[in-house]
Amino acid sequence: MKEEIRNLLEEFLPLVDLDSDFLFAELDSLGVTAIMMTLSEKYGITLEVEDATPKNLRNLDSIVYMVKSKIS
Amino acid sequence: MMIEAYIRHHAETMPDKVAVVNGSQYVSYGCLWRKIQERADELRKNGLRQGGVVVMHTSQTIDFLVGYFAVHLAGAVAMPLEKSMPEKRFNELSERFARFNPPEGVADILFTTGTTGNSKGVMISHDTIIADAENLVESHGYTSQTVFVVCGPLNHIGALSKVYPVMMQGSTLVILDGMRNLEAFFQAMDYPSDKMATFLVPANVRMLLMLAKKRIALLADRIDFIESGAAPLSHADMKALCELLPNTRLFNTYASTETGIIATYNYNDGRCMAGCMGHTMKHAGVRIDSDGRIVCRGRTLMTGYANDFEMTSRILRDGELYTADLGRIDADGMLHLVGRMDDVINVGGLKVDPVEVENVAMELPQIADCICVQVEHPVAGLALKLIVVMKDGESMDRKIIARFISQTLESYKVPLIYEQVDNIRRTFNGKPDRKSYRV
Repeated sequence: MKEEIRNLLEEFLPLVDLDSDFLFAELDSLGVTAIMMTLSEKYGITLEVEDATPKNLRNLDSIVYMVKSKIS
Repeated sequence: MMIEAYIRHHAETMPDKVAVVNGSQYVSYGCLWRKIQERADELRKNGLRQGGVVVMHTSQTIDFLVGYFAVHLAGAVAMPLEKSMPEKRFNELSERFARFNPPEGVADILFTTGTTGNSKGVMISHDTIIADAENLVESHGYTSQTVFVVCGPLNHIGALSKVYPVMMQGSTLVILDGMRNLEAFFQAMDYPSDKMATFLVPANVRMLLMLAKKRIALLADRIDFIESGAAPLSHADMKALCELLPNTRLFNTYASTETGIIATYNYNDGRCMAGCMGHTMKHAGVRIDSDGRIVCRGRTLMTGYANDFEMTSRILRDGELYTADLGRIDADGMLHLVGRMDDVINVGGLKVDPVEVENVAMELPQIADCICVQVEHPVAGLALKLIVVMKDGESMDRKIIARFISQTLESYKVPLIYEQVDNIRRTFNGKPDRKSYRV
Protein backbone atom coordinates (compact mmCIF):
# COMPACT_ATOMS: atom_id res chain seq x y z
CA MET A 1 0.00 0.00 0.00
CA LYS A 2 2.85 2.40 0.81
CA GLU A 3 4.24 2.28 -2.73
CA GLU A 4 0.76 2.60 -4.20
CA ILE A 5 0.13 5.74 -2.15
CA ARG A 6 3.57 7.12 -3.02
CA ASN A 7 2.84 6.71 -6.74
CA LEU A 8 -0.58 8.32 -6.33
CA LEU A 9 0.77 11.36 -4.48
CA GLU A 10 3.80 11.81 -6.73
CA GLU A 11 1.41 12.52 -9.59
CA PHE A 12 0.30 15.87 -8.16
CA LEU A 13 2.99 16.79 -5.63
CA PRO A 14 6.09 17.19 -7.81
CA LEU A 15 7.90 19.46 -5.36
CA VAL A 16 7.25 17.46 -2.20
CA ASP A 17 9.82 15.01 -0.81
CA LEU A 18 7.64 12.03 0.05
CA ASP A 19 10.46 10.46 2.06
CA SER A 20 10.55 13.43 4.40
CA ASP A 21 9.64 13.14 8.07
CA PHE A 22 8.36 16.72 7.83
CA LEU A 23 5.94 16.14 4.99
CA PHE A 24 3.21 18.38 6.43
CA ALA A 25 5.61 21.32 6.54
CA GLU A 26 6.22 20.95 2.80
CA LEU A 27 2.53 20.98 1.90
CA ASP A 28 0.29 23.92 1.14
CA SER A 29 -3.48 23.95 1.58
CA LEU A 30 -4.08 22.63 -1.92
CA GLY A 31 -1.66 19.77 -1.30
CA VAL A 32 -3.37 18.78 1.95
CA THR A 33 -6.82 18.82 0.36
CA ALA A 34 -5.67 16.99 -2.74
CA ILE A 35 -4.15 14.21 -0.60
CA MET A 36 -7.32 13.80 1.44
CA MET A 37 -9.48 13.79 -1.66
CA THR A 38 -7.30 11.36 -3.60
CA LEU A 39 -7.10 8.90 -0.72
CA SER A 40 -10.87 9.13 -0.09
CA GLU A 41 -11.60 8.31 -3.71
CA LYS A 42 -8.98 5.59 -4.10
CA TYR A 43 -9.82 3.66 -0.91
CA GLY A 44 -13.52 4.56 -0.53
CA ILE A 45 -12.99 6.09 2.91
CA THR A 46 -14.34 9.26 4.48
CA LEU A 47 -11.67 11.75 5.46
CA GLU A 48 -12.65 14.98 7.17
CA VAL A 49 -11.03 18.06 8.60
CA GLU A 50 -10.21 16.25 11.87
CA ASP A 51 -8.05 13.82 9.86
CA ALA A 52 -5.98 16.50 8.09
CA THR A 53 -3.64 16.98 11.04
CA PRO A 54 0.14 17.53 11.06
CA LYS A 55 0.41 14.19 12.92
CA ASN A 56 -1.50 12.19 10.29
CA LEU A 57 0.41 13.86 7.46
CA ARG A 58 3.85 13.77 9.09
CA ASN A 59 5.28 11.23 6.64
CA LEU A 60 4.25 8.52 4.21
CA ASP A 61 4.05 5.91 6.99
CA SER A 62 1.61 8.01 9.02
CA ILE A 63 -0.53 8.51 5.92
CA VAL A 64 -0.59 4.75 5.32
CA TYR A 65 -1.52 4.22 8.99
CA MET A 66 -4.38 6.72 8.68
CA VAL A 67 -5.75 5.02 5.56
CA LYS A 68 -5.48 1.53 7.10
CA SER A 69 -7.24 2.61 10.29
CA LYS A 70 -10.06 4.18 8.26
CA ILE A 71 -10.45 1.02 6.16
CA SER A 72 -10.59 -1.16 9.24
CA MET B 1 -3.72 60.62 5.76
CA MET B 2 -2.03 57.30 6.42
CA ILE B 3 -3.53 54.09 7.81
CA GLU B 4 -0.97 54.31 10.63
CA ALA B 5 -2.77 57.43 11.94
CA TYR B 6 -5.76 55.21 12.77
CA ILE B 7 -3.55 52.80 14.72
CA ARG B 8 -2.16 55.74 16.72
CA HIS B 9 -5.71 56.98 17.36
CA HIS B 10 -6.86 53.56 18.63
CA ALA B 11 -3.71 53.30 20.76
CA GLU B 12 -4.72 56.56 22.43
CA THR B 13 -8.45 55.88 22.77
CA MET B 14 -8.58 52.10 23.41
CA PRO B 15 -5.01 51.00 24.19
CA ASP B 16 -6.02 47.63 25.64
CA LYS B 17 -8.20 46.52 22.74
CA VAL B 18 -6.73 43.45 21.03
CA ALA B 19 -5.40 44.52 17.63
CA VAL B 20 -3.69 41.41 16.27
CA VAL B 21 -3.65 37.74 17.25
CA ASN B 22 -1.16 35.21 15.90
CA GLY B 23 -1.23 31.76 17.52
CA SER B 24 -0.76 32.31 21.24
CA GLN B 25 0.53 35.86 20.70
CA TYR B 26 -1.85 38.78 21.32
CA VAL B 27 -0.99 42.44 20.82
CA SER B 28 -3.14 45.39 21.86
CA TYR B 29 -3.43 48.64 19.90
CA GLY B 30 -1.30 50.39 22.56
CA CYS B 31 1.43 47.79 22.29
CA LEU B 32 1.23 47.59 18.49
CA TRP B 33 1.71 51.35 18.16
CA ARG B 34 4.71 51.31 20.56
CA LYS B 35 6.33 48.52 18.57
CA ILE B 36 5.76 50.35 15.29
CA GLN B 37 7.29 53.56 16.65
CA GLU B 38 10.32 51.71 18.02
CA ARG B 39 10.88 49.90 14.72
CA ALA B 40 10.52 53.13 12.74
CA ASP B 41 13.12 54.80 15.01
CA GLU B 42 15.49 51.86 14.42
CA LEU B 43 15.02 52.14 10.66
CA ARG B 44 15.79 55.88 10.74
CA LYS B 45 18.87 55.31 12.92
CA ASN B 46 20.08 52.69 10.45
CA GLY B 47 20.01 55.29 7.69
CA LEU B 48 16.69 54.58 5.97
CA ARG B 49 16.14 57.43 3.53
CA GLN B 50 12.79 59.17 3.03
CA GLY B 51 11.05 57.67 0.03
CA GLY B 52 13.49 54.75 -0.09
CA VAL B 53 12.27 51.23 -0.85
CA VAL B 54 12.48 48.57 1.88
CA VAL B 55 12.38 45.05 0.46
CA MET B 56 10.85 42.63 2.95
CA HIS B 57 10.34 38.88 3.20
CA THR B 58 6.64 38.42 3.97
CA SER B 59 5.71 36.28 6.94
CA GLN B 60 2.33 35.63 8.54
CA THR B 61 3.37 37.22 11.82
CA ILE B 62 2.76 40.26 14.01
CA ASP B 63 6.41 41.15 13.52
CA PHE B 64 5.90 41.44 9.76
CA LEU B 65 2.97 43.83 10.27
CA VAL B 66 5.01 45.91 12.73
CA GLY B 67 7.79 46.17 10.15
CA TYR B 68 5.35 47.00 7.36
CA PHE B 69 3.69 49.86 9.27
CA ALA B 70 7.07 51.08 10.60
CA VAL B 71 8.42 51.46 7.06
CA HIS B 72 5.48 53.76 6.27
CA LEU B 73 5.89 55.69 9.52
CA ALA B 74 9.57 56.24 8.74
CA GLY B 75 8.56 57.79 5.41
CA ALA B 76 9.70 54.91 3.21
CA VAL B 77 8.02 52.49 0.80
CA ALA B 78 7.37 48.83 1.71
CA MET B 79 8.04 46.12 -0.86
CA PRO B 80 6.87 42.84 0.72
CA LEU B 81 7.84 39.82 -1.37
CA GLU B 82 6.35 36.33 -1.50
CA LYS B 83 7.79 34.12 1.24
CA SER B 84 8.41 31.28 -1.22
CA MET B 85 10.36 33.58 -3.55
CA PRO B 86 13.75 31.98 -4.27
CA GLU B 87 16.76 33.81 -2.78
CA LYS B 88 18.21 34.52 -6.24
CA ARG B 89 15.08 36.38 -7.33
CA PHE B 90 14.76 38.18 -3.98
CA ASN B 91 18.32 39.48 -4.33
CA GLU B 92 17.73 40.47 -7.95
CA LEU B 93 14.68 42.54 -7.01
CA SER B 94 16.41 44.07 -3.97
CA GLU B 95 19.23 45.24 -6.18
CA ARG B 96 16.88 46.52 -8.89
CA PHE B 97 14.93 48.69 -6.46
CA ALA B 98 17.78 49.81 -4.18
CA ARG B 99 18.11 53.17 -5.89
CA PHE B 100 14.54 53.47 -7.19
CA ASN B 101 12.74 56.69 -6.22
CA PRO B 102 8.98 56.13 -6.19
CA PRO B 103 6.71 59.14 -6.78
CA GLU B 104 5.63 61.04 -3.67
CA GLY B 105 2.78 59.47 -1.74
CA VAL B 106 3.60 55.87 -2.66
CA ALA B 107 3.27 53.48 0.30
CA ASP B 108 3.86 50.03 -1.17
CA ILE B 109 5.21 48.18 -4.16
CA LEU B 110 3.36 44.88 -4.50
CA PHE B 111 4.45 42.24 -6.99
CA THR B 112 1.79 40.62 -9.09
CA THR B 113 1.27 38.95 -12.42
CA GLY B 114 -2.05 40.75 -12.55
CA THR B 115 -3.46 42.57 -15.48
CA THR B 116 -0.53 42.41 -17.88
CA GLY B 117 1.10 39.01 -17.42
CA ASN B 118 4.74 38.82 -16.18
CA SER B 119 5.60 39.99 -12.67
CA LYS B 120 5.35 43.73 -12.15
CA GLY B 121 5.88 46.00 -9.16
CA VAL B 122 2.56 47.77 -8.59
CA MET B 123 2.87 51.09 -6.74
CA ILE B 124 0.09 51.72 -4.23
CA SER B 125 -0.29 55.13 -2.60
CA HIS B 126 -1.29 55.95 0.98
CA ASP B 127 -4.42 57.57 -0.45
CA THR B 128 -5.29 54.33 -2.26
CA ILE B 129 -4.91 52.37 0.98
CA ILE B 130 -7.35 54.74 2.69
CA ALA B 131 -9.79 54.56 -0.24
CA ASP B 132 -9.64 50.72 -0.25
CA ALA B 133 -10.22 50.69 3.51
CA GLU B 134 -13.19 53.06 3.29
CA ASN B 135 -14.68 51.03 0.43
CA LEU B 136 -14.54 47.85 2.49
CA VAL B 137 -15.72 49.45 5.73
CA GLU B 138 -18.78 50.90 4.02
CA SER B 139 -19.63 47.89 1.82
CA HIS B 140 -18.94 45.04 4.24
CA GLY B 141 -19.69 46.81 7.50
CA TYR B 142 -16.46 46.43 9.50
CA THR B 143 -16.88 47.74 13.06
CA SER B 144 -14.69 47.71 16.16
CA GLN B 145 -16.45 44.42 17.05
CA THR B 146 -15.32 42.67 13.86
CA VAL B 147 -12.78 39.87 14.30
CA PHE B 148 -11.23 39.21 10.90
CA VAL B 149 -9.32 35.98 10.23
CA VAL B 150 -6.78 36.46 7.48
CA CYS B 151 -5.32 33.29 5.94
CA GLY B 152 -3.78 34.49 2.68
CA PRO B 153 -0.25 35.81 2.15
CA LEU B 154 0.12 39.34 3.51
CA ASN B 155 2.04 40.52 0.43
CA HIS B 156 -1.01 39.77 -1.72
CA ILE B 157 -3.69 42.45 -2.11
CA GLY B 158 -6.43 39.93 -1.23
CA ALA B 159 -5.11 39.58 2.33
CA LEU B 160 -3.27 42.87 2.79
CA SER B 161 -6.32 44.92 1.82
CA LYS B 162 -8.22 43.41 4.78
CA VAL B 163 -5.62 44.69 7.21
CA TYR B 164 -6.58 48.26 6.24
CA PRO B 165 -10.28 48.28 7.26
CA VAL B 166 -9.42 46.33 10.41
CA MET B 167 -6.89 48.98 11.45
CA MET B 168 -9.20 51.80 10.38
CA GLN B 169 -12.09 50.57 12.55
CA GLY B 170 -10.09 49.26 15.50
CA SER B 171 -11.25 45.71 14.82
CA THR B 172 -9.22 42.60 15.65
CA LEU B 173 -7.08 40.77 13.10
CA VAL B 174 -6.26 37.07 13.51
CA ILE B 175 -3.34 36.00 11.32
CA LEU B 176 -3.05 32.42 10.06
CA ASP B 177 -0.29 30.90 7.98
CA GLY B 178 -2.45 29.64 5.13
CA MET B 179 -5.21 27.07 5.29
CA ARG B 180 -3.27 23.82 5.23
CA ASN B 181 -3.95 23.29 8.93
CA LEU B 182 -7.72 23.44 8.94
CA GLU B 183 -7.85 22.78 12.68
CA ALA B 184 -5.93 26.04 13.17
CA PHE B 185 -8.52 27.81 10.99
CA PHE B 186 -11.39 26.50 13.11
CA GLN B 187 -9.54 27.36 16.32
CA ALA B 188 -9.15 30.92 14.99
CA MET B 189 -12.85 31.02 14.15
CA ASP B 190 -13.56 30.01 17.77
CA TYR B 191 -12.45 33.47 18.91
CA PRO B 192 -15.12 34.69 21.36
CA SER B 193 -17.12 36.94 19.06
CA ASP B 194 -20.30 36.76 17.01
CA LYS B 195 -18.83 39.16 14.46
CA MET B 196 -16.35 36.80 12.85
CA ALA B 197 -15.29 37.48 9.29
CA THR B 198 -12.78 36.12 6.84
CA PHE B 199 -11.51 36.25 3.26
CA LEU B 200 -11.37 32.97 1.36
CA VAL B 201 -10.16 32.42 -2.18
CA PRO B 202 -12.38 29.95 -4.09
CA ALA B 203 -9.89 27.11 -3.48
CA ASN B 204 -10.27 27.64 0.28
CA VAL B 205 -14.05 27.55 -0.04
CA ARG B 206 -13.75 24.29 -1.99
CA MET B 207 -11.52 22.80 0.71
CA LEU B 208 -13.92 23.70 3.49
CA LEU B 209 -16.90 22.32 1.60
CA MET B 210 -15.06 19.09 0.86
CA LEU B 211 -13.64 18.44 4.32
CA ALA B 212 -15.51 20.47 6.88
CA LYS B 213 -19.17 21.11 6.00
CA LYS B 214 -20.39 20.16 9.48
CA ARG B 215 -17.85 22.38 11.21
CA ILE B 216 -18.81 25.38 9.07
CA ALA B 217 -22.50 24.85 9.81
CA LEU B 218 -21.71 24.97 13.55
CA LEU B 219 -20.35 28.51 13.06
CA ALA B 220 -23.50 29.73 11.30
CA ASP B 221 -24.58 32.12 14.05
CA ARG B 222 -21.13 33.59 14.58
CA ILE B 223 -19.87 34.38 11.10
CA ASP B 224 -20.91 37.90 10.16
CA PHE B 225 -19.45 37.82 6.65
CA ILE B 226 -17.14 35.91 4.31
CA GLU B 227 -15.56 37.66 1.38
CA SER B 228 -14.25 35.80 -1.65
CA GLY B 229 -12.34 37.05 -4.61
CA ALA B 230 -9.20 36.68 -6.72
CA ALA B 231 -10.81 33.97 -8.90
CA PRO B 232 -14.32 32.95 -9.94
CA LEU B 233 -16.27 31.00 -7.33
CA SER B 234 -18.24 28.09 -8.78
CA HIS B 235 -22.01 28.42 -8.64
CA ALA B 236 -22.29 25.07 -6.85
CA ASP B 237 -19.94 26.24 -4.10
CA MET B 238 -21.77 29.57 -3.79
CA LYS B 239 -25.08 27.76 -3.31
CA ALA B 240 -23.58 25.26 -0.86
CA LEU B 241 -22.18 28.08 1.29
CA CYS B 242 -25.54 29.92 1.22
CA GLU B 243 -27.26 26.77 2.48
CA LEU B 244 -24.74 26.21 5.27
CA LEU B 245 -24.67 29.84 6.37
CA PRO B 246 -28.16 31.25 5.70
CA ASN B 247 -27.68 34.36 7.88
CA THR B 248 -24.12 35.19 6.88
CA ARG B 249 -23.34 37.87 4.33
CA LEU B 250 -21.33 36.22 1.56
CA PHE B 251 -19.48 38.62 -0.72
CA ASN B 252 -17.88 38.18 -4.11
CA THR B 253 -15.53 41.11 -4.68
CA TYR B 254 -13.99 42.51 -7.84
CA ALA B 255 -10.48 43.73 -7.05
CA SER B 256 -6.90 43.45 -8.19
CA THR B 257 -3.59 44.94 -7.15
CA GLU B 258 -3.76 47.43 -10.01
CA THR B 259 -7.43 48.44 -9.66
CA GLY B 260 -7.79 48.26 -5.88
CA ILE B 261 -11.13 47.23 -4.35
CA ILE B 262 -13.81 48.07 -6.91
CA ALA B 263 -17.14 46.27 -6.52
CA THR B 264 -18.82 43.67 -4.32
CA TYR B 265 -21.95 41.49 -4.30
CA ASN B 266 -23.64 39.68 -1.43
CA TYR B 267 -24.65 36.47 -3.18
CA ASN B 268 -26.60 35.25 -0.16
CA ASP B 269 -29.48 37.39 -1.46
CA GLY B 270 -31.79 34.63 -2.68
CA ARG B 271 -30.63 35.05 -6.27
CA CYS B 272 -27.03 33.82 -5.85
CA MET B 273 -25.86 35.04 -9.28
CA ALA B 274 -22.60 33.41 -10.44
CA GLY B 275 -20.07 35.83 -11.91
CA CYS B 276 -21.82 38.85 -10.39
CA MET B 277 -19.51 41.37 -8.75
CA GLY B 278 -22.26 43.74 -7.65
CA HIS B 279 -22.24 47.51 -7.50
CA THR B 280 -19.14 49.65 -7.46
CA MET B 281 -18.00 50.96 -4.09
CA LYS B 282 -17.90 54.61 -3.09
CA HIS B 283 -14.38 55.41 -4.30
CA ALA B 284 -14.60 53.40 -7.54
CA GLY B 285 -16.25 53.54 -10.93
CA VAL B 286 -16.50 51.07 -13.79
CA ARG B 287 -17.40 51.11 -17.48
CA ILE B 288 -17.18 48.53 -20.25
CA ASP B 289 -15.28 49.64 -23.35
CA SER B 290 -16.10 48.75 -26.96
CA ASP B 291 -14.03 45.52 -26.71
CA GLY B 292 -16.05 44.38 -23.70
CA ARG B 293 -13.16 45.13 -21.34
CA ILE B 294 -13.69 46.33 -17.76
CA VAL B 295 -12.28 49.84 -17.30
CA CYS B 296 -11.96 51.16 -13.73
CA ARG B 297 -11.53 54.64 -12.27
CA GLY B 298 -11.30 56.23 -8.85
CA ARG B 299 -9.01 56.66 -5.87
CA THR B 300 -8.29 52.94 -5.54
CA LEU B 301 -6.25 52.71 -8.74
CA MET B 302 -2.51 52.05 -8.59
CA THR B 303 -0.05 54.91 -9.08
CA GLY B 304 1.67 52.90 -11.82
CA TYR B 305 4.16 50.09 -12.37
CA ALA B 306 7.50 50.73 -10.68
CA ASN B 307 10.25 51.41 -13.19
CA ASP B 308 7.98 50.68 -16.15
CA PHE B 309 6.48 53.78 -17.72
CA GLU B 310 5.67 52.01 -20.99
CA MET B 311 3.64 49.23 -19.37
CA THR B 312 1.91 51.77 -17.13
CA SER B 313 0.84 53.94 -20.05
CA ARG B 314 -0.48 50.86 -21.84
CA ILE B 315 -3.16 50.24 -19.21
CA LEU B 316 -3.47 53.49 -17.22
CA ARG B 317 -4.70 56.38 -19.35
CA ASP B 318 -6.55 59.59 -18.44
CA GLY B 319 -7.29 58.36 -14.95
CA GLU B 320 -8.74 55.06 -16.15
CA LEU B 321 -7.29 51.57 -15.78
CA TYR B 322 -7.90 49.11 -18.62
CA THR B 323 -8.03 45.61 -17.12
CA ALA B 324 -7.72 42.32 -19.05
CA ASP B 325 -11.10 41.23 -17.68
CA LEU B 326 -14.17 41.09 -19.88
CA GLY B 327 -17.44 42.13 -18.30
CA ARG B 328 -20.92 43.53 -18.63
CA ILE B 329 -23.08 45.80 -16.54
CA ASP B 330 -26.70 44.67 -16.06
CA ALA B 331 -29.87 46.77 -15.92
CA ASP B 332 -29.46 47.22 -12.14
CA GLY B 333 -25.95 48.61 -12.64
CA MET B 334 -24.25 45.48 -11.33
CA LEU B 335 -20.95 44.32 -12.78
CA HIS B 336 -20.66 40.76 -14.15
CA LEU B 337 -17.40 39.00 -15.06
CA VAL B 338 -17.48 37.28 -18.44
CA GLY B 339 -13.87 36.15 -19.04
CA ARG B 340 -10.32 37.33 -19.73
CA MET B 341 -8.62 38.79 -22.78
CA ASP B 342 -5.16 37.34 -22.13
CA ASP B 343 -3.46 34.00 -21.39
CA VAL B 344 -2.93 34.60 -17.67
CA ILE B 345 -3.89 31.53 -15.61
CA ASN B 346 -5.51 31.98 -12.21
CA VAL B 347 -4.23 29.27 -9.85
CA GLY B 348 -6.12 29.27 -6.57
CA GLY B 349 -6.40 33.07 -6.69
CA LEU B 350 -2.82 33.76 -7.81
CA LYS B 351 -2.22 34.81 -11.38
CA VAL B 352 0.49 33.18 -13.47
CA ASP B 353 1.79 34.19 -16.87
CA PRO B 354 2.44 30.87 -18.70
CA VAL B 355 5.20 32.49 -20.76
CA GLU B 356 7.20 33.21 -17.61
CA VAL B 357 7.00 29.52 -16.66
CA GLU B 358 7.93 28.38 -20.18
CA ASN B 359 10.93 30.72 -20.31
CA VAL B 360 12.33 29.27 -17.10
CA ALA B 361 11.62 25.65 -18.14
CA MET B 362 13.39 26.22 -21.48
CA GLU B 363 16.60 26.99 -19.58
CA LEU B 364 16.76 23.33 -18.57
CA PRO B 365 19.20 21.83 -21.13
CA GLN B 366 17.20 18.61 -21.61
CA ILE B 367 14.05 20.41 -22.80
CA ALA B 368 13.65 21.14 -26.52
CA ASP B 369 10.25 22.85 -26.41
CA CYS B 370 7.38 23.33 -24.00
CA ILE B 371 4.05 25.00 -23.38
CA CYS B 372 2.41 25.81 -20.05
CA VAL B 373 -1.37 25.40 -20.09
CA GLN B 374 -4.22 25.33 -17.64
CA VAL B 375 -6.01 22.15 -16.59
CA GLU B 376 -8.99 21.70 -14.32
CA HIS B 377 -8.14 20.96 -10.71
CA PRO B 378 -10.74 19.66 -8.24
CA VAL B 379 -9.58 22.02 -5.47
CA ALA B 380 -7.79 24.98 -7.05
CA GLY B 381 -10.22 25.28 -9.96
CA LEU B 382 -7.29 25.52 -12.35
CA ALA B 383 -3.75 24.15 -12.16
CA LEU B 384 -0.68 24.50 -14.37
CA LYS B 385 0.37 21.73 -16.70
CA LEU B 386 3.68 21.76 -18.52
CA ILE B 387 3.75 19.88 -21.81
CA VAL B 388 7.32 19.23 -22.84
CA VAL B 389 9.28 17.98 -25.82
CA MET B 390 12.54 16.46 -24.60
CA LYS B 391 15.76 16.57 -26.62
CA ASP B 392 16.84 13.38 -28.40
CA GLY B 393 17.84 10.67 -25.95
CA GLU B 394 16.40 12.52 -22.92
CA SER B 395 13.38 11.34 -20.97
CA MET B 396 11.12 13.48 -18.80
CA ASP B 397 11.55 13.50 -15.01
CA ARG B 398 8.79 15.67 -13.51
CA LYS B 399 10.68 16.13 -10.23
CA ILE B 400 13.80 17.46 -11.95
CA ILE B 401 11.76 19.93 -14.00
CA ALA B 402 9.65 21.04 -11.02
CA ARG B 403 12.68 21.60 -8.79
CA PHE B 404 14.50 23.47 -11.54
CA ILE B 405 11.58 25.87 -12.01
CA SER B 406 11.21 26.34 -8.25
CA GLN B 407 14.79 27.64 -8.08
CA THR B 408 13.69 30.70 -10.04
CA LEU B 409 9.96 31.11 -9.55
CA GLU B 410 7.59 31.18 -6.59
CA SER B 411 6.13 27.76 -5.70
CA TYR B 412 2.62 28.56 -7.00
CA LYS B 413 4.15 29.07 -10.47
CA VAL B 414 5.56 25.54 -10.56
CA PRO B 415 3.31 23.27 -12.68
CA LEU B 416 1.64 20.35 -10.90
CA ILE B 417 1.11 18.18 -13.98
CA TYR B 418 3.69 17.18 -16.65
CA GLU B 419 3.35 15.43 -19.97
CA GLN B 420 5.95 14.49 -22.56
CA VAL B 421 4.91 14.83 -26.21
CA ASP B 422 6.63 14.69 -29.60
CA ASN B 423 5.80 18.27 -30.54
CA ILE B 424 3.99 21.39 -29.41
CA ARG B 425 1.06 22.54 -31.53
CA ARG B 426 1.69 25.98 -33.06
CA THR B 427 -0.39 28.53 -34.94
CA PHE B 428 0.28 29.44 -38.60
CA ASN B 429 2.75 32.14 -37.51
CA GLY B 430 4.71 29.82 -35.23
CA LYS B 431 3.29 30.90 -31.86
CA PRO B 432 2.26 28.19 -29.38
CA ASP B 433 -1.39 27.36 -30.06
CA ARG B 434 -2.66 27.99 -26.53
CA LYS B 435 -6.31 27.91 -27.50
CA SER B 436 -6.05 24.34 -28.77
CA TYR B 437 -4.86 23.21 -25.31
CA ARG B 438 -7.47 25.16 -23.36
CA VAL B 439 -9.97 23.23 -21.22
